[in-house]
Amino acid sequence: MKAKNSLPILSRESLRGRFKKERSRLIFFATCLMLGLATLTFLPRLSVPMGIAYILHLILSPLLPWMGRLKINKTISVSILLFIFGFFTLYPIIRVVPLVQTEVGSLHSYMPKIESFITKDYRKYSAILYEKTGIELKDHYVIDTFEFLKGQIKVGILYIPQLLALLFEWMILVPFFLFFFLRDSRMMRNLLLSIAPNVIFERFYFLTHEFNRKLGDYIFAKFIEATLIGSIITIGLSVMGVNFWLIWGIIAAVTNIIPYAGPILGMLPAIVVSFIEYGIGPTFWGVVLLFVIANIIDLAIVFPILVSKIVDLHPLIVVVSVILGSQLLGIVGMIVSIPLAAAVKLLVTEVYKEIYLTASK
Amino acid sequence: MAYEKSIIERMKSGDSEVDRIDMSTLRYMWLSNPFFAHNKDSLPKFLRDVLILKNFTENELRVLSKYMHTRSFSNGDHIFLQGDPGVGFYFILSGKVDIFVDDKVFEPEASGDLRYVISLIKGDYFGELALLQNNSVRTATATCMEPTSLLGLFKPDMENLINERPILAAKLLQSLSLIVTKRLFSLTSEIAHMKVQLAQYESQK
Repeated sequence: MKAKNSLPILSRESLRGRFKKERSRLIFFATCLMLGLATLTFLPRLSVPMGIAYILHLILSPLLPWMGRLKINKTISVSILLFIFGFFTLYPIIRVVPLVQTEVGSLHSYMPKIESFITKDYRKYSAILYEKTGIELKDHYVIDTFEFLKGQIKVGILYIPQLLALLFEWMILVPFFLFFFLRDSRMMRNLLLSIAPNVIFERFYFLTHEFNRKLGDYIFAKFIEATLIGSIITIGLSVMGVNFWLIWGIIAAVTNIIPYAGPILGMLPAIVVSFIEYGIGPTFWGVVLLFVIANIIDLAIVFPILVSKIVDLHPLIVVVSVILGSQLLGIVGMIVSIPLAAAVKLLVTEVYKEIYLTASK
Repeated sequence: MAYEKSIIERMKSGDSEVDRIDMSTLRYMWLSNPFFAHNKDSLPKFLRDVLILKNFTENELRVLSKYMHTRSFSNGDHIFLQGDPGVGFYFILSGKVDIFVDDKVFEPEASGDLRYVISLIKGDYFGELALLQNNSVRTATATCMEPTSLLGLFKPDMENLINERPILAAKLLQSLSLIVTKRLFSLTSEIAHMKVQLAQYESQK
């Protein structure tokens, strides 16, 4: 063991050479990342199925170690997992699609009834208003709204073949990407890490790992939450014998993914239609009560246990990020805003620690 | 060649016909083939020589090596600086690493120079506390004194290891706790020794 008192003094040339090497590593790494991100941004046909496959990989990959413990080869366990997942995804879709189709069909034929009801009520109330105050309401707002809705439905119907083609493409690409993400994710990660410069290696690895874990946990928790709420509402409505119970259940499950505004959005169509259908009576109040109970279960039990511990964001940040997300990317933005906000929080915390806490030491 | 020779001799002498393949010999020859993946992989061989991993089987070392990352550093590169957040535990594959401590962090009135602590060479390890602590901060600076290759195991790898290979993770954590216990023991003895010295010094005063 040699006795030394300070760091070795290095020549200027070697120092410059070392800096150049590390800088070129940083530039190469940043270029690779930017190129990858740019490719994904400008090729949505590739990035959307890849994104879906990546999210599914985050949900399914925790199951792989269980199969590994049974000494099953990785390729075989990935194939088995994909097969089981495909069966449990496709089977309900195949079973539910005809049911949804008939319900949508009857809802479509139901539209004139809703239209006439609203127009009739509107006329009644506008007449009362005219009698009492002398103010005459103009009809065109109601008519315009229905024209707009009809136009949107027509556009939707015209878009269906394109949507089906896209879905068919995804049905092939998503399992394809998912298979390789599940089987080779470690190899891909190691490849990316091997070009990461030494200066940022530890932090980069730790941050990406934390982000992946948070994203995976959040999506898994939200998936469970949406399924639970959707099931409660679907079962409750079907027991009460409310029309279109399946559609309202699916809508409640899907909108549940959106924080705060989601439950109200999911509740509105069911309540409006049951009001029109049954009037203010036991069925209407039953539907309202069911939605309130489902949301209380969500807010009091499911959300605190499953979701809030994972994300740990202030409600103000949640609302702001959801609004920002909806502004930038629409519904998709509302869904991905929370995990993205959590990722930004993680990054900001790390940078804060690096700048302030390290400097103050 | 010796195997072939013995077969030819046996055939020439006519005492016994070769009627079946000797599986164990064939298996030995197949495994010793230089192109076999197992023989090309030198990391498990390196880990075999690391003292703290002596209770690991060959297969466990092979699996463990798959969770680790090889990193290359030039002469004079800092692997980490004192006060940096740390998540990695390193083994030295080749080269030399010197450890320095800045006493100013602990004692503001200390001299500005970095105090040399120890030189580490091939087979040595450092940074194990980062794997065990939350929000770990490096307590020393590690600098490469020649071109160095390190084999690193990081917190995310440890988490994956716990989820995917719990027995292996338990063995590794046992090894890590042995290192920490050893260090704690030496620290306790050192403090006890210093307390005695301090008491003697105070009684002399």
